[in-house]
Amino acid sequence: MSRIVALALNTFREAIRNKVLYLLALFGVGLIVLSVPFSQGALHEQMRVTRDVGLAGIELFGVLIAVFVGVNLVYKEVDRKTVFALIPKPIHRYEFILGKFVGMLMTLAVMFAIMSALMAAVLSVQTEATNAPSNSAAIVRAIALLFCEVTVVTAIAVLFSSFSTPILSGAFTLGMAVVGHFTPELRELTARIGTVPSRIAIAGAMRLFPDLNLFYVSGAMVGGQRVTVHGSFVDWGYVGTAALYGAAYSGCALALAMIIFSRRDFV
Amino acid sequence: MSALVEADHLQKTFALGFFRKKVRAVEDVSFTVEQNEIFGFLGPNGAGKTTTLKMLMGLIFPSSGQARIFGKPINDRQAKRRLGFLPENPYFYDYLSGGELLDLMGRLFGLDRAARRKRAAMLLDRVGLGRAGDRALRKYSKGMLQRLGIAQALINDPELVVLDEPMSGLDPIGRKEIRDLIVDLKAEGKTVLFSTHILSDVELICDRVAMLVGGRMRDVGPLSKLLSPRLLHTEVVLEKDGASELLRVPPEADVDALLSEALAAGKHVVSVTPRRESLEDLFVREVDAADVGGGAERMKRDRTERKS
Ligand SMILES: Nc1ncnc2c1ncn2[C@@H]1O[C@H](COP(=O)(O)OP(=O)(O)O)[C@@H](O)[C@H]1O
Ligand SMILES: [Mg+2]
Repeated sequence: MSRIVALALNTFREAIRNKVLYLLALFGVGLIVLSVPFSQGALHEQMRVTRDVGLAGIELFGVLIAVFVGVNLVYKEVDRKTVFALIPKPIHRYEFILGKFVGMLMTLAVMFAIMSALMAAVLSVQTEATNAPSNSAAIVRAIALLFCEVTVVTAIAVLFSSFSTPILSGAFTLGMAVVGHFTPELRELTARIGTVPSRIAIAGAMRLFPDLNLFYVSGAMVGGQRVTVHGSFVDWGYVGTAALYGAAYSGCALALAMIIFSRRDFV
Repeated sequence: MSALVEADHLQKTFALGFFRKKVRAVEDVSFTVEQNEIFGFLGPNGAGKTTTLKMLMGLIFPSSGQARIFGKPINDRQAKRRLGFLPENPYFYDYLSGGELLDLMGRLFGLDRAARRKRAAMLLDRVGLGRAGDRALRKYSKGMLQRLGIAQALINDPELVVLDEPMSGLDPIGRKEIRDLIVDLKAEGKTVLFSTHILSDVELICDRVAMLVGGRMRDVGPLSKLLSPRLLHTEVVLEKDGASELLRVPPEADVDALLSEALAAGKHVVSVTPRRESLEDLFVREVDAADVGGGAERMKRDRTERKS
């Protein structure tokens, strides 16, 4: 355990000493701030924009960071031969993968905290001016869901980067994320075409992609009801279920990454 | 007490490129390293030294054969606790400082904070980086990285220290410092296995040497046994009227007669030196025997591989 913590802290330290990351976070922050003057209409309308753009910004930049930092996590260590000194230390190879993953989640947590804090600040100013409710409880749940989403994306990135180059891994991970966002549409589409066996095969293959729609629900229909962060949003029970799905999916991806990494030659 | 390192017919074949062309890096390597000896792993570039050491360190898996360290299989965590390793041309996280890197490595051994601090400071001093501990590694020179690599290999006070080309990237003074450090480690009761392609490194400090050429073990043993004690020739330097001449006298010839003849002719004897086989001669002999440079054997090997 202490070994995984040590490896995670080192990964986290690398990330926070990396200037590119701050740049990305700055873009996310800028997006939220810039949304305010551009939004039209009454003040409480502006709050809707802040919530929508803020959450979209957190999702977009969270996913981008997860992909671009995630695909380098393992690859860079092998490419730069830093693993050569690490593997002969009394660690298991799977502990290395876990340490990298946990360190990445710590990094994402900090990025999420920065972007959320900014969004909260903007919202609180707007609340003062309008006396309209900020709906912060719903926003917290929405952000928790987004964190589950980037966890899944990170796990996929680590899986690909355990055996492939960053460019390929990045393309595959982004591809998985995009497909994962359209799973319901694709499911509907594929349910109608082809023969029965091919439909079953396709449905099975679809299971390989993460159902990322579970995590970004504002404006969607859940259980026959429309949910939004502006009004009635999903409860913590839903968040818990979605988190379980995310954990299971990430667990499978990581387990695969550990198996691949454990059998590799470091040349 | 069994050997600390046992390599038993290790073999490694890499598959290269799109066509998975086979490259045999290590063909057949067996040796043991005994308690408290300095064991030199000697061979020209591309002989398979690094590949062999990587197999022992669990970085790559042998294609066939097996190895044990402290009597345990490779990658055994208990065995790894007693082991230190310096990779060839080491590279470490450039966003860390030297001290931070040693701290990280200490954590992986479960050392507490006080022990980590103490050992890191001591080791930085020992490898001559006492004043560079706070500097970021991206500002380290190659020689400094090499020294830090040795420091991190010693963070757990290991019983067995494995060093891949520990003197590379260092100037003559640095090389001597590392040689002294290896000798000190032995005096502390530790066992050292190191690789090098430089003869003088092993000549001075090794108890036993393994010679690796073209992926095959040519010789293992104490240096004195590897070197033929046979007299090669005697070099005699004579001088007369300020002009000197060098004579190579074959071992069967009578040196005494030659000298008295020279003295009678009014020549002055400057030196008489019997030449026995040096490590360099042995090296050349082994490389010639294996014919790694020319490639008759390699071509033969390639052809048979393509067939199989
Ligand atoms: N990853 C690899 N892929 C293909 N061939 C390799 C690889 N690593 C080493 N080799 C080959 O194996 C041989 C031995 O290399 P190496 O063990 O590095 O030798 P040494 O350390 O004695 O200089 C060389 O011919 C080298 O080209
Ligand atoms: Mg080498």
